[in-house]
Amino acid sequence: MKFKSQQLRVVSLLLVIYYLILAWMFNRTGYEHSERLFYAEKLKLLFEYSENTLLTLGTTFPTTSFLINVIFAPFGYLFAPVASSIVLMSFLFFFMAKDINGSGLPARTMIISLMALFLLHPQFIFAATSGRNIAAIMLFTYLLFRSLFFYYKNQTTYYLSLASLYLGALIFSEIKFLWLILGFLPFVVLVSIEGIKTAKGEPVVFQYYQALNNRSLRRKLVNRTVSLYFILYLLPLAAVFLFRVLNQSHAGDPTYFLSSQYSNWRVTGVSTITNILERGSGDNLSKQTQIIFPLFTIFLAPIFISAMILFKGKLYELLTIFTPLIFTSIVLIDIQYYLTTEYFVIIPVLSFVALNFASGIKLNRFMSSVILLAGTGLTLLGGLYYFKETSDFDEQRFVKMVTDTPSWFATKKNSEEKILADYIGSVKSADRPVLIDDAAAYGVVAHLPNLEGLVMPLQKNFITVIENPALSVEYILIAKRHNLKHNFTAMNAYNMIVMRDRLNLRSNRVFETENWIVYSIR
Amino acid sequence: MPVCALNNMISVGLFTTAKLEEIDVIADEFEYAQIKAALNFGYLTRKLYVSFLERSGFPLVDVRNEVLDESFVEQCDLLHLNAFLYLPMRNDGKGNLLVAAADPMDERLQGILEIKFNSKIKLVAASDLDITWMVHKLRGEYYVKESVFSLMRKDPESSGLTTFTDAQLLFIFIAIGFALLVLTINFVNSFIFFNLFFSFVFLFSIVFKLYIALKGSKYELVEVVTKEEVKAVKNDTLPVYTILLPVYKEDKLIRKLIWNLRSLDYPRGKLDVKLLIEEDDDKTLNAVRNLDFPANFETIVVPFHMPKTKPKACNYGLFFCKGIYLTIYDAEDVPDSDQLKKVVSLFRKLPKDYVVLQGALNYFNKNENLLTRMFTLEYSYWFDYMLPGLQSLDVPIPLGGTSNHFKLDKLKELGGWDPFNVTEDADLGVRVFEKRYKVGVVNSTTLEEANNEPFNWIRQRSRWIKGYMQTLLVHMRNPVRLVNKIGWRGFFGFNFFVGFTPITFLLYPVLLGFYIIYIIFDLQTVRILFPDWVLYISIFNFVAGNTLMIYVNMLAVFKRRFYELILFALVNPFYWLMHSIAAYKGLWQLIYKPFYWEKTNHGLTKMSHSSSAAAAANANEV
Repeated sequence: MKFKSQQLRVVSLLLVIYYLILAWMFNRTGYEHSERLFYAEKLKLLFEYSENTLLTLGTTFPTTSFLINVIFAPFGYLFAPVASSIVLMSFLFFFMAKDINGSGLPARTMIISLMALFLLHPQFIFAATSGRNIAAIMLFTYLLFRSLFFYYKNQTTYYLSLASLYLGALIFSEIKFLWLILGFLPFVVLVSIEGIKTAKGEPVVFQYYQALNNRSLRRKLVNRTVSLYFILYLLPLAAVFLFRVLNQSHAGDPTYFLSSQYSNWRVTGVSTITNILERGSGDNLSKQTQIIFPLFTIFLAPIFISAMILFKGKLYELLTIFTPLIFTSIVLIDIQYYLTTEYFVIIPVLSFVALNFASGIKLNRFMSSVILLAGTGLTLLGGLYYFKETSDFDEQRFVKMVTDTPSWFATKKNSEEKILADYIGSVKSADRPVLIDDAAAYGVVAHLPNLEGLVMPLQKNFITVIENPALSVEYILIAKRHNLKHNFTAMNAYNMIVMRDRLNLRSNRVFETENWIVYSIR
Repeated sequence: MPVCALNNMISVGLFTTAKLEEIDVIADEFEYAQIKAALNFGYLTRKLYVSFLERSGFPLVDVRNEVLDESFVEQCDLLHLNAFLYLPMRNDGKGNLLVAAADPMDERLQGILEIKFNSKIKLVAASDLDITWMVHKLRGEYYVKESVFSLMRKDPESSGLTTFTDAQLLFIFIAIGFALLVLTINFVNSFIFFNLFFSFVFLFSIVFKLYIALKGSKYELVEVVTKEEVKAVKNDTLPVYTILLPVYKEDKLIRKLIWNLRSLDYPRGKLDVKLLIEEDDDKTLNAVRNLDFPANFETIVVPFHMPKTKPKACNYGLFFCKGIYLTIYDAEDVPDSDQLKKVVSLFRKLPKDYVVLQGALNYFNKNENLLTRMFTLEYSYWFDYMLPGLQSLDVPIPLGGTSNHFKLDKLKELGGWDPFNVTEDADLGVRVFEKRYKVGVVNSTTLEEANNEPFNWIRQRSRWIKGYMQTLLVHMRNPVRLVNKIGWRGFFGFNFFVGFTPITFLLYPVLLGFYIIYIIFDLQTVRILFPDWVLYISIFNFVAGNTLMIYVNMLAVFKRRFYELILFALVNPFYWLMHSIAAYKGLWQLIYKPFYWEKTNHGLTKMSHSSSAAAAANANEV
């Protein structure tokens, strides 16, 4: 059975509607992921702020996700990240479903399995509705590996170049995927032997024996391998180099896009191991060790095991499928953060690459279908288990919201940021400005109706104002001590005490939420 | 049956009846004298023939120094003179008309001439090459003028005789004037604007090239004509195929040329090969004369007329062509042996609106030095990736200098090549598109000699870039008309590909200069011209542009498995500087010497095709 593109487009569109409904319901409960708010605030700065527009556009990272969000900005800054995630997920579904046509497995079972994942898998739903950049990571991961398999099939450089472009897009969705380059190193050598006409039909080891013991063949093998490395790696590596140069020239620091809380959500948004350990939060962190972690990712996505059982392909194709596991092992070196959903959800995505491009019926059609469906069912359970034990605070809030079903149907709730923004919006004006540091308070800025009457770090006079705020602003927004972003902003409880002592600042607490206080200082 | 020299050669054992029978077939098909067929289709060496004539009592007269009564020549048509190789000289005072002929024993020719001149004819022997030289010089004026001015008469809008039209000059001067004015009024902001504008043009042009190359890479393994299809072609169904070989002072390459032609897998009697020699090129003519083995081409002498360009010579050659299809090779070219059969097979498969097929060009001396390596990379991406990419986009394809195969009748309909354009091939590609015909790409390669000497390279490249500028100016005289003819897609394709190529090379050193000035002199004054945001965009465009161009060059190695060249792609920014030098030289010549043909010296390589092929074969041995 073959699926027509028209049919798949309709299903993809229905999927968009399904995700939109879910996103709307989640939004009603007051759930907003901090990364979504980060993008929303950057979009607001980009379109509504006249100063340093290029800094916002050029250094906000992950670049790919941010630029995609820019396309959706006309639908509203807060909605744009969610809309882009939903659209990217539907694209992902379309490509995966389209590729089923080329698979050797029963098409109906495959589409059922795929639909189950997209409709029910918690990580897929989270990726689509949270406004995080997970959807971009999933899509580009799939496109990258899909292009590689097309290359294996057709041996045309076109697909290799596409793979290179997608690898670049993936790296600019999450910089750690740069390590995939190391993961790809061994299999490229195996691919190279394909192009060398030696001992065809013999085992790969024998082909290598021949190639390495003949001067001419050895030279050819090396040349071809180096060429493949260049074509695959040059664009992403050059793009990273260029981005570093641009950051150096513009922000004075080549790693500004990675280390500055103003340009990268991860600096403040991802839960650090220290914070998690302090709060004793979730059990997944304990699996975040070498050897255990790759196995754990497979444990949560048994569809990968199904794909391996049904695998029919060459050694380098198998190695390609295993690359993300090598990658996750490398990522764990010197990691200070909890690895969130995106590192887990790429495994089912990869499984579908294997199922679509390098699988065939084993035993018989029925048994193959059983293997596939069993893998899918267990993967759904794996997704639930992941969220049950997640150590990330934002993800825990998501779980709490989803499991609190009565809140879905209760009256609409506002998030803390929204409540705070409503207050600030009601008091700020050009005469009574508010000093606010969007390093930590980007969520508040994202909810403000406009940027008038604010003094923020993007402005040239920010340093002057922060030296003696009472001279320039009416209000200041201060992060409380237990606010997780407390240490990333100059406008925190500690500095408030310092300012009070140093400047003899008269301050009145005029509004307060769980993590923030608004002071009047005049 | 009329007797000719060849019959007499058979009687003394210097020739065979079987060969004569073959020659008769060729002579009938081409309407040539038998001796012409014998000398030009590889049956007879000139030296052997001359010695036979002398021993038979026919010493050669030097027609180039004989006294001529031109009134007799004027009664003859050049095409007939050329086909039967004779030249009426004068009355000998005894009632005979003295006629120099390549075959003084040709009874049929004698009969024809006696009727024509109503006089007794006395045939004297002369070198066929000298007769050719003389008849073209004396009677070629009409044809050479047609070669030069025919396109201008038929389609003045497409002729490059006028380099800049009044409107174009006005536009250029207004643009320059406006630029100077705004720079005077507000230097900093104007400078920033121009800097950004040019840097975006630079990046856009390269991104477009990458896009086309990626499109082209999809067809990397596509064989439009398979080996099986070539095998299935039957020799007796093949049409006559014309090969034009325009040469100038290529005496060292004549032997090689014959070997290369011999390796073509095409029936000898159906190959109409024309060696086009300029009137003042005695070097090449003598090289042909002194050959020790039979030549397999016909020599055509192009009478002197300005401009002295390859397209003019080719147009002249067109009057003498007999083929259904026509292609052009350079003297040093080594085409794939099955190229002509592939072309015939592909033309038979394609719709009728395909009137040109472009073969890929590459180099046999690629590993000679850095320059030849870079040139090989460039040609590989151009012919293996860009042309298929352009074809898939259905935009005008600038044809390559050689190995473009035409349907002869369509080529004549198009008006041949523009003799005033120094990249006549690129121009013709656009004109083909304008007439709603199509250019295809055939999966066959011709190996050429890569330029291995920097100054020679710059000469050649300056001509190419100048030609692109000429082509742009000619076809952009009336942009609205161009859009109507080739549509918006074709219009943009043409401008981005043909127009932006010289512009990019001209801009490159300027942008590089800006960047170096900023890096070296990081002064406050310079910073005024490079505010942060300008710098950001400039750096992005410049670095991204260079990287993408390196990447496109790297792609080039894959189709032909020239993997050992990939690292040389990194040198591309320096190679581009050489392009820029050539571009400025081309621009200078466009203004001062628009029709001047910068001659590229060939035969500089120390490598031969056979030695490089042997090296490749050794490398392939397991």
